[in-house]
Amino acid sequence: MSDRIVAQESRLGYRLLAPAFLVIVLLILYPIMFNLYLSFFDVQLDGNKTWVGVSNYLKLLSDQTFYHSLGTTLIYLAGTVVGTTVLGLAVALLLNEEFPLRNLVRGLVLLPYFAPVISVVFGWQFIFDPVNGIYNHVMVEELGLMSERQNVIGEPDSAIWVVIVFDVWKHFPIAFLLILAKLQSIPKDQYEAAAIDGYSAWGRFIHVTLPELRFVLGTVILLRLIWNLNRFEDVYLLAPNVETLPIYIYYRAFTGVIDQGFAAAVAVVQLVFLAGLIWLYVRKVLKW
Amino acid sequence: MAVKRSLGYKVLLFLAVSALLLFTLFPFVQILSTSLKHQVDWGNPSLIPTVVNFEAYKELLGLTSQEVELPETIKIMLQNPAISEEQRAAIIEKFKSNADIFPFGRYTLNTFLLSMATALISTALATFAAYSLARLDYRGRSIFSNTVMFVYMVGGVLLMVPLYQMAVGIGLAGHITGTLVSLLLIYVVQTLPVAIYMLGNYFRTIPKSLEEAAMIDGYSRIEAIFTIIIPLSRPMLLTVMFYCFVIAWNEYLFASVFLKQYHDFHTLPLALQTLFSSKNAIWDRIMAASMLTLLPVLIAFTLANRYIASGGTAGGVKE
Amino acid sequence: MQPAIKSLKSLAVTLGALLLTSSLVQAATEIEFWTNQTQSDRMKIIETLASTFEALNNDIKIKVVPVDENEMATQMAAAAAAGSLPNVIEAGSELLLAFGEEGIVDIESNGKMLQKIGKKRFFSGALNMLQAPNGKDFYGVPMHGWIQGIWYRKDWFAERGLAAPDTWENIEKAARELTDKSKNQYGILIGTKPEGYTEQVFTHFALSNGARQFNAKGELTFNSPQMLETLKYYQTLAQFNPPGPQTWRARDYYLQGKMGMFFYSTYIMDDLALAEVAKGSLTSEHFEGLSGADFDADLVKNTGFVPVITNKTAASYGVLQGLAALKSTPAETTATEKFVEYLYDPYAYITFLHMAPGGMNPMLADIPDHPNYLKDPKGIFKTYGTDAIKTIINGFENIQTFTVVDGKAFPESGQIFAKQIIPRMVYSVVFEGVSPEQAIARAEMEMQDLIGR
Repeated sequence: MSDRIVAQESRLGYRLLAPAFLVIVLLILYPIMFNLYLSFFDVQLDGNKTWVGVSNYLKLLSDQTFYHSLGTTLIYLAGTVVGTTVLGLAVALLLNEEFPLRNLVRGLVLLPYFAPVISVVFGWQFIFDPVNGIYNHVMVEELGLMSERQNVIGEPDSAIWVVIVFDVWKHFPIAFLLILAKLQSIPKDQYEAAAIDGYSAWGRFIHVTLPELRFVLGTVILLRLIWNLNRFEDVYLLAPNVETLPIYIYYRAFTGVIDQGFAAAVAVVQLVFLAGLIWLYVRKVLKW
Repeated sequence: MAVKRSLGYKVLLFLAVSALLLFTLFPFVQILSTSLKHQVDWGNPSLIPTVVNFEAYKELLGLTSQEVELPETIKIMLQNPAISEEQRAAIIEKFKSNADIFPFGRYTLNTFLLSMATALISTALATFAAYSLARLDYRGRSIFSNTVMFVYMVGGVLLMVPLYQMAVGIGLAGHITGTLVSLLLIYVVQTLPVAIYMLGNYFRTIPKSLEEAAMIDGYSRIEAIFTIIIPLSRPMLLTVMFYCFVIAWNEYLFASVFLKQYHDFHTLPLALQTLFSSKNAIWDRIMAASMLTLLPVLIAFTLANRYIASGGTAGGVKE
Repeated sequence: MQPAIKSLKSLAVTLGALLLTSSLVQAATEIEFWTNQTQSDRMKIIETLASTFEALNNDIKIKVVPVDENEMATQMAAAAAAGSLPNVIEAGSELLLAFGEEGIVDIESNGKMLQKIGKKRFFSGALNMLQAPNGKDFYGVPMHGWIQGIWYRKDWFAERGLAAPDTWENIEKAARELTDKSKNQYGILIGTKPEGYTEQVFTHFALSNGARQFNAKGELTFNSPQMLETLKYYQTLAQFNPPGPQTWRARDYYLQGKMGMFFYSTYIMDDLALAEVAKGSLTSEHFEGLSGADFDADLVKNTGFVPVITNKTAASYGVLQGLAALKSTPAETTATEKFVEYLYDPYAYITFLHMAPGGMNPMLADIPDHPNYLKDPKGIFKTYGTDAIKTIINGFENIQTFTVVDGKAFPESGQIFAKQIIPRMVYSVVFEGVSPEQAIARAEMEMQDLIGR
């Protein structure tokens, strides 16, 4: 191509990118910087601010509830990542087998993923209602696994587990999709060769399937970590008493004793964690 | 692998698939069941209502036939000669209509318009940006590309405080028009990176030779985009729109921050959350509202299942 | 020339008239009214009252906005920030006092409205609860009020020979007896979630033990032996609650026949009677053999009410809802005053109160004798009898709260209410294993920080 065409092409490139990129700069990149700036101020809802230096960060470091929230976030991340990946893998293996109506089942399994959060949280709340819910009925009356009824969602210590199960329920389908796609691309002759080598079904899984899935599993795990660190709706709408970092920020920014500068500081801390994960993702996954 | 499977294997497979379906579908069945039950029946663990009750749906859709009696005291007030005959009739009419008990239709329309606008704007902007990043060569392209990747993963909750302060700062938060504009822009930017990412990946799979052939035939780049790329990408464009639409349809955080005091403009997530605290003995109605909110997504999903599932794997998928 | 001037003149007049009418059309003042009546059937009545007002005043438009009572404080803060405060609000007296102290209430306008409606017509106890610390201004106009008490299953109490739950001892004994967790049955409902309902129930007990937030000199005396005793007792009672953190919503379990007693305002009269009407259409044979739900067609007959609780002293508790005009432009203020005065017109006022007969009780002493008052549209007063209603209304004269001590209101108490310090204290004791001593000390510290003493 001639230089003139190259120059033309690159001009066009900028021009096509410009509108979208402007919106991104204005509404994501600038706000990230602005947030950093705000974290050094005492910020009122009406926009009045006073410079307070690093005192928001100092307050954060001495705040018990912040550490509690950090702990909650870690449990949440660990539980959901392990849960979604394991279940996603298991379901992918299961639905890779042949049986009648397999396509229908594959479709139905995706339903939780596409259902709007708001349309399912109340159903989940009702299932765990201490007096009317089916969970307590089954656990106490049918199976006798618990001696008395519990308000599983009402109490934060048990609610976190419901929130984890809910997240696994809602998001294993995407892990399943990614894993299944990879699974289908593993050449059959590899299995046949392994079978000839005398490997059992389990041995074939360990020696053929898992190595092939290594990359896709890594992707699933990292993406889950990133999305779940950001997650707000699923946790807040189901159990507002489970304070992961995003919910902690929301409460500080918009409820009770409003302190937006402090909320901005927590957001900065969260962004640092997030940036670390994203870096890992870009270095490891995108290079693969 | 044409191995003959044993009976034990078949039974196991059947049990596993049944367990899987029970786990995935049970909450939906529970929602449907409770939406059809009378209050006294809620504590009944059976999923089949003792008496099927459609009242909740009727109430939400404004179909209750029950005649509401105008309170005596209002009748007396309306006899005031200062009130014209038309005004009187209008007030009585409004009182008797059941439409605004919970204006479900209105909330659905609000959510639909907002989500649709988001999906259209976002997909349009993303198409050009993604094409530019995927096909054209210029300085800094990889930086732009990486930036999109990065912002794709920054959650809304990190931007909540600065965006709110920006809206207050430039005076957009004080009235409904400004609030809606702010919200639409926020939804666009929340969906834009994923749209660019998905479309970029897709455009790279289209052979370059197609456009080159067209350009040799005298088409310009832009013309080639419209005549070759866009028609070829139609399923993917629809999938991307569907994703943007669903993200906006589900959004609660920013809607609650910006729209709370504008009841007429509530979106469904906000409206349902408000409905839950606005009435006693609410379970049947909230479950019915849940079913109705689920419905449009369900329909779109059934129609486009094939594309959507493949889109999910292509995009890595924003949630 | 003459005709030309004439026609010019007439043109000017026509134009002027046009401009005038169009400016009149534009001059329709819109005022925003925030109400904490969020239930849709009540919204409907309020909207109808507003439309009727608009029909009578063509130049005023009313925008009614329902705001959940637990969100009122934060929403007001957000609106203040965005510069979109409403013109008039309906809220509990505690919150109105807090808003008054923040300086957003239009005291002058409230005084004018009280004068117009007739200060003497109001119950004096109600007026006290909205008085500013200077003793002459008011942070709102009393609108309606409810009293709180224990509602209980008379039939269950009779079967077991239990005495009516009017003392701490009787309440605890009954709660213990009636709790049978293996049968999914609970003795009592008290608030344990960190929100308003919890504060209301806890306050009732505290008052009956002589515990106060402030003494007559205005000193904070929250951390007292009486308060500590109350908190410990409350912790004991919480064992007989349905599992986990609970709020008023759990009273559904009572309507389902799974609970022996529950704290509630007189608002429940409406719900109880209506539940019965609704059930009338389903005969109980539909639900025969239904496990888990005990169908009771005679709930109203079998329900008793105790409004006064006694331990060291007899205490009744209630909440007053008032209307307050907020600072606005002069045109909006005039419109607001008109609207509020209209709401106290006997027919409008009675329409409003009839949204929840028994729950919304008049604050004007002459209303109970109004011929239309006892004829509520749902016939609820008839179900309970006029005597019961008048007892409830008169009960309001003896209402106590934390905000008023010796007839003087302490707005700081409202600020404390708005920050939900007491319910958070209760929650930490019942669910987070914090000792009552520690929790009270911490709560007092938070209160001190807040009011700066």
